[in-house]
Amino acid sequence: MTLTDDVTRDSVESALEQDQGHLIVSHLNPPPSYDLADHPAPTGREEIWRFTPLKRLRGILEGERSQDCLTWDTTLPDGVTLSTITPAQAREMGELAPNDRPSALAVELAGGATLLDVPAALEAADPVVIRLSGDSVDDLVWGHLVLRVGAFAKATIVLVHTGSARYCATTSVLVGDGAEVNVVSVQDWADDAVHLGRDAIKVGRDASVRHTSVSFGGDLVRLHANVEYAGPGGEAELLGLYFADEGQHLEHRLFADHNQPKTKSNVLYKGALQGQGAHTVWIGNVLIRKVAEGIETYEENRNLVLTDGCQADSVPNLEIETGEIEGAGHASATARFDDEQLFYLRSRGLSESEARRLVLHGYFDDLIRKIGVPDLQEQLTRTVETELARNVLREDADGAPVLETTEVGS
Amino acid sequence: MTLERACDPADVPVDQALGLTIGGVDVAVARDGEEFFAVHDLCSHAHVVLSEGEVADCAIECWLHGSTFDLRSGKPTGLPATEPVATFPVEVRDDGLYVDTTTTLNGARVP
Repeated sequence: MTLTDDVTRDSVESALEQDQGHLIVSHLNPPPSYDLADHPAPTGREEIWRFTPLKRLRGILEGERSQDCLTWDTTLPDGVTLSTITPAQAREMGELAPNDRPSALAVELAGGATLLDVPAALEAADPVVIRLSGDSVDDLVWGHLVLRVGAFAKATIVLVHTGSARYCATTSVLVGDGAEVNVVSVQDWADDAVHLGRDAIKVGRDASVRHTSVSFGGDLVRLHANVEYAGPGGEAELLGLYFADEGQHLEHRLFADHNQPKTKSNVLYKGALQGQGAHTVWIGNVLIRKVAEGIETYEENRNLVLTDGCQADSVPNLEIETGEIEGAGHASATARFDDEQLFYLRSRGLSESEARRLVLHGYFDDLIRKIGVPDLQEQLTRTVETELARNVLREDADGAPVLETTEVGS
Repeated sequence: MTLERACDPADVPVDQALGLTIGGVDVAVARDGEEFFAVHDLCSHAHVVLSEGEVADCAIECWLHGSTFDLRSGKPTGLPATEPVATFPVEVRDDGLYVDTTTTLNGARVP
């Protein structure tokens, strides 16, 4: 055989990934690993880091040891327990390995994990509420959590982040067969906080999981929500709501890994941006492996740009290795207020500001209603109203309109 | 207005900018002949350090996507950047080059 044939064959093989096809998993999401050497410090040019302003991470990626911690305030329904376990126990339990440098650092440096255990078949009437608050952005906090929900249990778990800190956490949600779980993570940080988080969910056979990420506060928030399946028939719904103000960077990265047949995933993230330098990033990816026949997936991102000077990056991806599926799709749209909607509402006698409020209300409302935690839904609706009143309608807290400042031409 | 000593004028190369941190702000100091300029050391398009790019004809080029910024005004002279980078006051004194990072000359925002 001639050299040219060898070269051609090699290049065709590598293009088709035949030589190591069984090893290639996802082209966007690197394979999980506990080894920090597998997650080198980013330069900012890597595909998974290119949207993130690394300088604003305030040195989290240097991976210094720290004794700082967040203040925990927990509400646990009967039967649900909270305990501390070693990182080795967390691995044995089948937690999901870190998939980027921050999550690997968190496991390495947290010095132990917190285990929330919902026993099998327990139907918790009230939600588990975990409130985490930080005192100062000078505090560097590593977090390692495992939320384990036993087979056929039903539970709602709400995590609320407030105050300020540099918080880097790895969370695994292990959902037993046939369980129904609703996890909500609210990022209501102070203006200077930095939060790097990875939530990864393993969905048991015929289990259903809803994961909602709500981000309002913080200077830089970058969150992963990953899902994979332990057996056929699992369903996952990943929801997100975010509101970026002036100078804020809010980044959400989704990954649904269909590694089992007849599984479902549905992703819906909706955001609004206002103010100079408000930046949101949404990266969605779905991997449909060869074994994942008969699956159904859809991912969708919507961004509403309320003022000039904002940037919304949105990249939906699909990696498909089998065509024997029920359906796969994605959608993304970024737009400002629809003039026709505003015109219609004004033609029905509403004022301009009332029309804007209604449109934004409607935009978020269908997502808020899906969250499935009534108290939180009301609270979120109020928060959206406040953000809107303060920023878009330029009203102060009392509801009186603040005089619009006119920009002096430069 | 607080001018801080940044470097010696002779330290600034002819064809590249000098990346410095002055008063907590990353600044690219560049020259056009004997005239000195200081701009915010971050491309307004994709967060790339400008001092790693080339300087020519009173403009600094971002190496990644090739946008050029006028050193005098901070305005982009080539796509994909559309927003100006902040420019800072520079003064050459006997004992060195001074830069003030507390005010911007063109009013652009320092993120």
